[in-house]
Amino acid sequence: MKRYELITPEGTKDLLFDECLAKREIEKRLSDIFKSHGYSEVVTTGIEFYDVFSKGSRTVKQEALYKLTDSKGRLIVLRPDSTIPIARLVATRLKDAPLPLRLYYNQAYFENNALLKGHSDEVTQAGVELIGTKSRRADFEILSLAVEALSAVEPENFRIEIGNVGIFKELVAQLGVDKDTAEQIRYLIVNKNYPALGDLLDTFGDNDVIRALKELPRLFGKEEVFERVEKLFVNDTIKSILDDLKYVYESLLTLGIKDNLSVDLGAVNRIDYYTGLTFKGYLEGIGEDVLAGGRYNHLISEFGYDQPATGFGINVNACTSLLLKNGNAPKTSVSDVIVYSEMPDVMKAICYSNKLAKSGVAVENSVFETLQETKEYALQKGIKKLVVVADDIEEIDMKGGEQV
Amino acid sequence: MKPLRIALTKGRLEKDTVSLFERIGYDCTAVREKGRKLILPVGDGELEVVLAKANDVITYVEHGVCDMGVVGKDTIMEMGGSFFELCDLGFGRCKFALATKKGLKFYGGYGVKTIATKYPNVSRSYFESKGMDIEAIKIEGSVELAPLLELSDGIVDIVETGTTLKENGLEVIEEIAPISARVIVNRVSMKLRQKEIEQLLSLMENNK
Repeated sequence: MKRYELITPEGTKDLLFDECLAKREIEKRLSDIFKSHGYSEVVTTGIEFYDVFSKGSRTVKQEALYKLTDSKGRLIVLRPDSTIPIARLVATRLKDAPLPLRLYYNQAYFENNALLKGHSDEVTQAGVELIGTKSRRADFEILSLAVEALSAVEPENFRIEIGNVGIFKELVAQLGVDKDTAEQIRYLIVNKNYPALGDLLDTFGDNDVIRALKELPRLFGKEEVFERVEKLFVNDTIKSILDDLKYVYESLLTLGIKDNLSVDLGAVNRIDYYTGLTFKGYLEGIGEDVLAGGRYNHLISEFGYDQPATGFGINVNACTSLLLKNGNAPKTSVSDVIVYSEMPDVMKAICYSNKLAKSGVAVENSVFETLQETKEYALQKGIKKLVVVADDIEEIDMKGGEQV
Repeated sequence: MKPLRIALTKGRLEKDTVSLFERIGYDCTAVREKGRKLILPVGDGELEVVLAKANDVITYVEHGVCDMGVVGKDTIMEMGGSFFELCDLGFGRCKFALATKKGLKFYGGYGVKTIATKYPNVSRSYFESKGMDIEAIKIEGSVELAPLLELSDGIVDIVETGTTLKENGLEVIEEIAPISARVIVNRVSMKLRQKEIEQLLSLMENNK
């Protein structure tokens, strides 16, 4: 039998040194932002019951879930998303907490991807959820946080794009098709598959609604999108969504992000729990969206506590790789000092290095039996100073690459 | 501004796309005289062509290391993936079809049918849509052999003229889907380089 003990599963990897530093740096930048705006951290369980992700708007397709069973034979999954568990948490333990709730998280989710395509199955995501209000103020707060989060990773070359699933939902309702067809149309729109969308919609004939649906995936870009859409089918519902979206767009310009802001009316997200305003964030150099969020007003009620909410998640792994790629990441530092002693003085040496460490010096103890080996090691690692502890303390400068 | 990078499926789609680029007015000398090079400039540095196998075109575009790609609908249907599929270039036309030995009644009996194919996903989802469970066997070379050797009841394959089928005593009994060359675009490139991409796309649409 082949044993798999030297490698990690497909889609996962161990992180070393600079990668860890870069990841922690991103996590710190993001959580500092979240904390400074009054958000409190929650950590949800790594494994959850399958039922949490298998009903209503929170259905995660089963081939994407990592599954196992507990000792009673119940189906368990590795957390595939963080917002759904937080909704569960809010509807249970936080039911009596004063509203609004401002929560943030920084934890991995797991996705069982197709093999050998270079996708990660374990992705750390940080994010915020603002729960208990439908107010436009909350959307603005979350969007502004999203902009802050993106620019904390990449101050110039980011893009935030807003949309609203309501337009699609209304158009499909006007068309009057069954759920499966609606899903087919949504899939083609979200993938901007112009030819196939045209073919499919042609089978329903030709009217304003159909023309609007055909045009929907092409309606992305800057302000001019709002003019283009007005020439298509617009009823009262769509009009109010559009006015609202335009208002959000114009308000966001106050943040000084004219070049970084756009709108996509065809961004009809795969995640079903979004109910209105949605948005995505992109960073130049990363081939997938790094941030996704929006309003989900019914998700928490599926767990029996009717509270509207909005929030977003940002892909920490993608931000980390960009930080490493752009060379702005912190580097792993070598110790400042190495402390050596002969065996009888070893505890004295350890006490001495503890003292140094407390004073803020990065120090390591030599585990070698001889001074010679310690010197060789210090030179190899580039440790600049060697301290020999005996009755006296002797400091040896290793900077010049001393003769060994 | 760095050039838009576009991955072309090596072979016929590459040639057709290069002709299309030349009709638009791009200088494609570098691609025509490529030698063994795989990344080539087109026009005055506004485009960069990458030559790859069909499946890899999708992979490169999906990861965003290429902004766009030209690839057959057959590969898209088999591989899937996350990208925008913006335009049907109209060339590379053929179709997916189900073929069996001439005169065989494929749909009779209670047995599970065996299908030999290079496209197991396409085959599965086609029969799944008919509520039919099949056994798909992946064949790498000439799929036509499988029914002749009685490994399978039928084949699902790309059919252009049908000559190979005919010469081997096989016939198309159902057409599954039409195929042609498509332009696919990375989801982020589409947003961050919208103007350039839309401009190129409309040039391609108008000259196809």
